[in-house]
Amino acid sequence: MEKGGMRVQEARDLAEAGVSKALKAGASYAEARVQATWEREFGLKNGEPQPSVFVEGYGIGIRVIAGGALGFAATNAMHRTSVGEVAAKAVRLAKASGGMLRRPVVFDSTKPARTSWAAPETEKIESADSAWMKQVLMDIDGRVADRRAGVKLTGRIFYLSAELQERYFVSSDGARVAGRVPRVSFGGSLTAVEAGSAAQRFIQQGETGGLEVVKRVGLVEKVVEEAKAMGKVLKASAKPPTEEIDIVLGPELSGIAAHESVGHPQEADRVLGREGAQAGESYLKADSLGRKIGSDEANVSDDPTLLHSNGYVPVDDEGVAAKKRSLIKGGVINEFLQNRATARQFGVESNGAARAVAFDREPIIRMANTFVEPGDYSTDEIFEEVKHGVYFKSFTEWNIDDKRLNQRYVGLEAYLIDHGELKGLVRSPVLEITTPKLWGSVKARSRHMEFEAATCGKGDPMQGAPVWTGGPETLLAGIRLGAR
Amino acid sequence: MDRGAGDAAGGDKAGGEISVDLDELNSLAVRTAEAVKADDAVALSTRIAESMVRFADNSATVANRVDEAELTVYLAKAGRRAIASTSNLSPAAVRGFVKDLYASMRGLPEAEYAPLPDAGARFSQSGGVDRKLEDAEEMLPELAKAAIDSSLAAGGERSAGAISAWKATVAILTTSGARGSDSRTAITLNIRSFGEGDASGHGLSCSSTLRGFDPEEAGRRAGAGAKGMRHAAEPEAGKYEVLLSPTVASNLVETVAGAASAFSVDAGTSCLAGKLGKEVAAPAFYLTDHGVIEGGFGGRAFDDEGSPTRATKIIDGGVLRGYLHNLTTAKKWRSETTGNAGLIAPHPWNLEVGAGDSSYEEMVKEMKKGIVLTSNWYTRFNNYRTGEFSTVPRDGAYLVEDGKVVRPLKGMRAGDDQQRLLSSVRLLSKEREWVQWWEVDTPTLCPWMLVDGVSITRAYD
Repeated sequence: MEKGGMRVQEARDLAEAGVSKALKAGASYAEARVQATWEREFGLKNGEPQPSVFVEGYGIGIRVIAGGALGFAATNAMHRTSVGEVAAKAVRLAKASGGMLRRPVVFDSTKPARTSWAAPETEKIESADSAWMKQVLMDIDGRVADRRAGVKLTGRIFYLSAELQERYFVSSDGARVAGRVPRVSFGGSLTAVEAGSAAQRFIQQGETGGLEVVKRVGLVEKVVEEAKAMGKVLKASAKPPTEEIDIVLGPELSGIAAHESVGHPQEADRVLGREGAQAGESYLKADSLGRKIGSDEANVSDDPTLLHSNGYVPVDDEGVAAKKRSLIKGGVINEFLQNRATARQFGVESNGAARAVAFDREPIIRMANTFVEPGDYSTDEIFEEVKHGVYFKSFTEWNIDDKRLNQRYVGLEAYLIDHGELKGLVRSPVLEITTPKLWGSVKARSRHMEFEAATCGKGDPMQGAPVWTGGPETLLAGIRLGAR
Repeated sequence: MDRGAGDAAGGDKAGGEISVDLDELNSLAVRTAEAVKADDAVALSTRIAESMVRFADNSATVANRVDEAELTVYLAKAGRRAIASTSNLSPAAVRGFVKDLYASMRGLPEAEYAPLPDAGARFSQSGGVDRKLEDAEEMLPELAKAAIDSSLAAGGERSAGAISAWKATVAILTTSGARGSDSRTAITLNIRSFGEGDASGHGLSCSSTLRGFDPEEAGRRAGAGAKGMRHAAEPEAGKYEVLLSPTVASNLVETVAGAASAFSVDAGTSCLAGKLGKEVAAPAFYLTDHGVIEGGFGGRAFDDEGSPTRATKIIDGGVLRGYLHNLTTAKKWRSETTGNAGLIAPHPWNLEVGAGDSSYEEMVKEMKKGIVLTSNWYTRFNNYRTGEFSTVPRDGAYLVEDGKVVRPLKGMRAGDDQQRLLSSVRLLSKEREWVQWWEVDTPTLCPWMLVDGVSITRAYD
């Protein structure tokens, strides 16, 4: 809070006052979340420094249940008077929407957390300044500009940001949670054009932690490797096979598939239709738990407790201690991501999946770090299983329908596999496949795990939540590729 | 940069916006910047009040209200540039914020830089405020209910959506003397209705005034779509004539406008690079960005650098006429600003696609083997430089054979590249609609577009 410009005790007092005022105004439940943001960002475009960006601020969001309806109001006018008015406004809004309420909102009885947590950091995030960020990006640019990575990059954009999110949460159920999340994020795009052929790669890296994140993820080397790969991709000319083959999804592909076609359709609010007009519903229904959707080898989880992860959220924004969620277990739909309201409807306890990205956003069900569980093969053994196939190491274009049944991933760095050996690159293979077919085709998984940072979009107003996606090398048997 | 309780610049008006004086805030920020000897300074303060009611399964899910004020300051000194924003708006905090920002610039490298123009303009309110929308929160549940009831009457069984009303005020002051403020109001509804099986339909209504807002029609379209999409089947993969609704066309047009930002061109992420003065679309295609336009609620009289906004022709009769510029990109391109700053990247305000002379019915009659698409989402690019993308149709989609709609379709994906798509526009409708929703950020006035040769694919199962 201090870094955002507000004293901690003052924030706590306002949050308590907001809850108290909401209850007095007629709420049967009230919560208040003071959230402060401090951020520094620096960018290079084709080696040229862009204006530095600094953001600081804080505000309060108050959510209530009144007359069975949910109301949420937020402001950054941080006075006791304003906060009181916002609390009353949340109650008034909830009651006003009661006329179109068919089903009252009721929360589950999950034990409220009373704790303070912080994502671990070695080098304090507050020490990030423009000189440090400039140096990191200059190091990267210096390694890839002027064909130093073996390819002419006609477009190079790099951004580095250091962000601190601090929050204090109070609920009328008794939750009192203080959280501190430092995060370092990198975003970049590389465009290579040679001899009439063009390739493009977007790179996102990020972890919770301090300045040490840059070294821990090996950021400079990762970007250099990506640039080198662009040179190979430009030379790829082999067309993808048209017959039925085996596919190996690298960790990046395993992760995006886990996120898009397992994590999203297993968000309980989507299953119940709450996101129907925006992010959509789900091919799964409330009675789909226990349904066999994949092979015995299909195992996908979401874990907000992974240290250093981009989606590290050990206590969620409803004051519930979060835990690992086993989404698909042995091919069976095992668990949905739940908040307190959906948990009540499903007759279970919340598994702590409610997140809000800013003080002015209501908490909604979000993934944290979604991944295919590791198997017991080595990476080499996975490839040895393939007589004829394609290895998707990275991807560019991807999308999926709003029920999460029909998805597409277009390979960027992708190789033909011939009798267990990686052969030449294959140009833009398209995996366009239904969710049951994808997860029903999983034959084996490696022990080797990698994670990628991503920003997951959901909600209205939109909330971009930091997450990890990841997994091992995943072997899919008997797949026919599509075409661009 | 700490402050005690109770000394912030503004409190809430009862039930209304935050009452901070934006001009005073800007004046304080610029005076402080001048005192520390910044070469250039821009203070841009904003105040927004937004109310929203969301619903699903014909029932309210949450009522939202957000009141916020924020100050953004741009400073330049000896070629170094920094941009900062804060919501900590007490006078002492603002003074400290600007001083700290200036001090932090010592460690910065020189950035791409163009000075602010010598004589700044004075700006006044450019219209676009409907007082009936300033405190619309009480009426939103009733308007949402009207849309839901209309959907039910048209055949929808359950509806989900969001209705939102907002007022935004932006004030500017620069060291070169640009000064003024401008406000906008808008009301938008996004409703999606569901029926038997996978059947769904979509409706939108977007307006800068309450008078122009039509929730019943949006609900009717969503309900009719849910009814009409029963028993939908997957199409054969292949090339089709595709009739894009204003909703779908706006989504794709917005990506083209993004490619027209000079920042995107420089960054290698534009399919329009190197094509100034060349044909990039069919002769019937016109695309213009407007800072201020009747019915548009995305812009204002001035941009983030204090330049006047204006109408900028991007594509004129199929020819690429210009990129969108701010002062920095204009200097680099030896051009002039188009009033589209973005302090870092130029961006569009309100887009307008020129009308054609066909009716919807005439366009359908022109189709031999085609598909009508009414909504889409998840447009993603294989390569922004080449413009290759795919998008996922959803809600109403219909197969057309020999000029007649024959059956509903589902489970497909449409793919193309931006320039081939624009060059293959065959017909445009007379009727146009304003579109802004989850998949379209920039308000866009757009007709129906009939495009030849779009690739339709389906998933391996």
